[in-house]
Amino acid sequence: MILYVLRRLGGALLLTVLVTLITFLLLSTSFDSVAASRLGTSATPEAVDAMKAELGLDRPVLVQYFDWLSHAVQGDFGVSLFTSEPVGDAVSSRLSVTLSVITAALLCTALASVALGVLAAWRGGVIDRVAQGASLVGFLIPSLLTAIVLVYVLAIKTDILPATGYTPLADNPGQWLASIMIPVIALSLHGMASLTSQVRGRMIDELRKDYVRTLRTRGIPTRSIVLRHALRNAAGPALTVLSMEFIAMFGGALVIEKVFALPGFGSYAFDSSLQGDIPVIMGVTLFAVLLVVGVNLIVDLLNGWLNPKARIH
Amino acid sequence: MPTLSRSRRIRRYTPVAVLTSCVLLVTAGCGGSTDNSAAGTDMLSLAVLGTPNSFDVTQLADGQQAYVWGSVYDTLLYADNKGQIQPNAAESWSYSEDGRTLALKLRTGMKFSNSHVVNAGVVKASLDHVRATPGTQQNALGSIETIEAPDETTIVLKLKHPDASLLPSLTMGAGAVADPATMKDPSAALNPIGSGPYVLDKSTVNGSTYVLKKRKDYWNAAAYPFDTVEVKVMGDRTAAVNALQAGQLNAGTVESTQVDQVKSAGFGVTVVPATSVGTLVLADRDGTVVKPLGDLRVRQAINMAFDRQKMATQFLRGVGQPTEQIVNPKSPSHDPALDTTYPYDPAAAKRLLAEAGYPDGFSVTMPSLFFSKPFEPTIAQALKDIGINVTWEPVPAQNNTIALTSGKYAMYFTADGLGAVAKDFKNYFSPEGYRNPFHTQNTEISGLLQKASAEQDPATAAEAFKQVNAYGTKNAWYAPVFYVGTSWVTKKGITYLGDGSSTFSTIRAFGVSN
Repeated sequence: MILYVLRRLGGALLLTVLVTLITFLLLSTSFDSVAASRLGTSATPEAVDAMKAELGLDRPVLVQYFDWLSHAVQGDFGVSLFTSEPVGDAVSSRLSVTLSVITAALLCTALASVALGVLAAWRGGVIDRVAQGASLVGFLIPSLLTAIVLVYVLAIKTDILPATGYTPLADNPGQWLASIMIPVIALSLHGMASLTSQVRGRMIDELRKDYVRTLRTRGIPTRSIVLRHALRNAAGPALTVLSMEFIAMFGGALVIEKVFALPGFGSYAFDSSLQGDIPVIMGVTLFAVLLVVGVNLIVDLLNGWLNPKARIH
Repeated sequence: MPTLSRSRRIRRYTPVAVLTSCVLLVTAGCGGSTDNSAAGTDMLSLAVLGTPNSFDVTQLADGQQAYVWGSVYDTLLYADNKGQIQPNAAESWSYSEDGRTLALKLRTGMKFSNSHVVNAGVVKASLDHVRATPGTQQNALGSIETIEAPDETTIVLKLKHPDASLLPSLTMGAGAVADPATMKDPSAALNPIGSGPYVLDKSTVNGSTYVLKKRKDYWNAAAYPFDTVEVKVMGDRTAAVNALQAGQLNAGTVESTQVDQVKSAGFGVTVVPATSVGTLVLADRDGTVVKPLGDLRVRQAINMAFDRQKMATQFLRGVGQPTEQIVNPKSPSHDPALDTTYPYDPAAAKRLLAEAGYPDGFSVTMPSLFFSKPFEPTIAQALKDIGINVTWEPVPAQNNTIALTSGKYAMYFTADGLGAVAKDFKNYFSPEGYRNPFHTQNTEISGLLQKASAEQDPATAAEAFKQVNAYGTKNAWYAPVFYVGTSWVTKKGITYLGDGSSTFSTIRAFGVSN
């Protein structure tokens, strides 16, 4: 298992370096533009050259990249070229917003999907038809549309929840929950669609297998068979779907953050890309890669723990 | 499969029920804690589309970001809601006869928020820092040769040449005064020390919400009716409209299609007819890159290709109007007669192209920018109708500035905010102006611009700039298409005082009413 973990960590490290290097090489074509943007429309060519020199953008690209990398591994991610905000602080504060929304949405998605999927497979009948219908509707209705309807009903018409903005958990837990409630519901409903189908399908497969019949003949209670044996075997693929859902939500966070004016990671990455804010783009790229790689690693390790056969791949 | 008893069935459904109840309970329980921060009129709460720049005084930007830094920093002068330049930190000013010396008299008793005194030496140090540091405002002070502070309250700016754009610049970012004792400290970029009417509150979340608290010891406190100003960054107009309707904002701009929606929600609406101008800049007036553009008849033909009224109606839906000039219609240098110079007439345009030697038209490559995309099909079709084929070349957003100033594109479509005429004309007509990327110059326009820049009397200067305006339109240095307006919506008790005469983003454009 240790070798498996080390192999995965090495791959993750290599991937991180490659992605950040490619990002930096792509950004290097815009160094002149970045210096000009920082100076505004009236900048003279001399001022642009002076700004490039001041920012160190006139050095060889690889020198700049390794300079950035060496600072980054020490926890120094530089400052935004436009707002002067330290990138590390900015990314972590914005990441906390996005992660709080996504984590809550994933938790709701996982709980509801497992409950619905297991019940649908186990009990069948009306519950199964409701679960399948709900999945279909969840697939068909985009999160954004759900969010817009929820804002209209819960914020504008009834004034129950705020329409926009974010309150940090540490400031006021109640307001924090209120501020993320609508995005969480919107994301969860969509996420539940794919995960419920997955759990239901896998559970039906498991419940039809020979070992279940054997367990029943031994007098093991149905509840134990379903939750302890069948669900554990079905959990691996469900975890993979959940991790993909996480990455999809993370990638799609921009839309939700824009609609709810949440100061999150997605909108920060988008705005900094428009400006060509090199330190910020590098910072968000690094954190995004680490996050995605980290989630995949956790899922792989969990799968390895749930199913020892997975460790040999 | 065995059936379950009622009690066991209830237990099985518990997770779903708990989740549902949790959502409903939290939803109901949060009714009293929603962030309706903009309920009263002691607070002005508005949204801006983008994150403000650094508060470093050399990096201030004059767009919507000025709502934030303009509340923290005093500017030497101030443009009122009618666009007239008024005293501010400087209580008076005067030019020498030759227009090359500007003397400003500072008012006394001003202090920075850290209690340091504002005097002439401090103002000189602040301006010198901006002049010496590459940044967004450096160019605006480019005509200054030296700055002197002969006594505690007098600042003397010696100029290389007369510069009519200097006074308007001093009402904006270039005229902001920072405390020299703190302005070079890296912390000033996020925690500025200014002598303005507000201080940045510690509840500010950089990049998201800027909270400004009024200073009780400010010399002109009566001009600022709001105890608190909250500026929220909302890149999406729908989010801003939702926030307005939910009571989280009490002022903001909306799209013309959203006006009825907010009106029915009880908001007042003030339409400012022109805040920017959509223009096809015909930059290559000497035909360096695209030879046909060197011929006046070709540039005039392009001006006749656009059905401006139809474009204004279709694109702007009532918040905007057609134009053939780049001057703010509220400016005394605006000339309504110029708006009939180029009536829509594709047939006549084709004849002009033929006369110029291009009966089969020609091809041109234009930059496709993120803000020009919606207009590109219409512009391309209009030009194609007279024989000009356009190829759109995608330009990444971060490269927009340099693409338009590099001299690569012979013509391009852009939208410029309408500022003071002296500043705008410097950008369009001086050889180093950023809307003159091919550095076109000739004796006629240079003479007109110099004469206008040297005029001291406002009325005479306005007339002189009117001649520059006429030159630009008649010589087709550009093909303006429409003015773009803005719809301001405000909650009951708050009013928007501007009419478009001044387009600088200052919170002094907001007042309170019964």
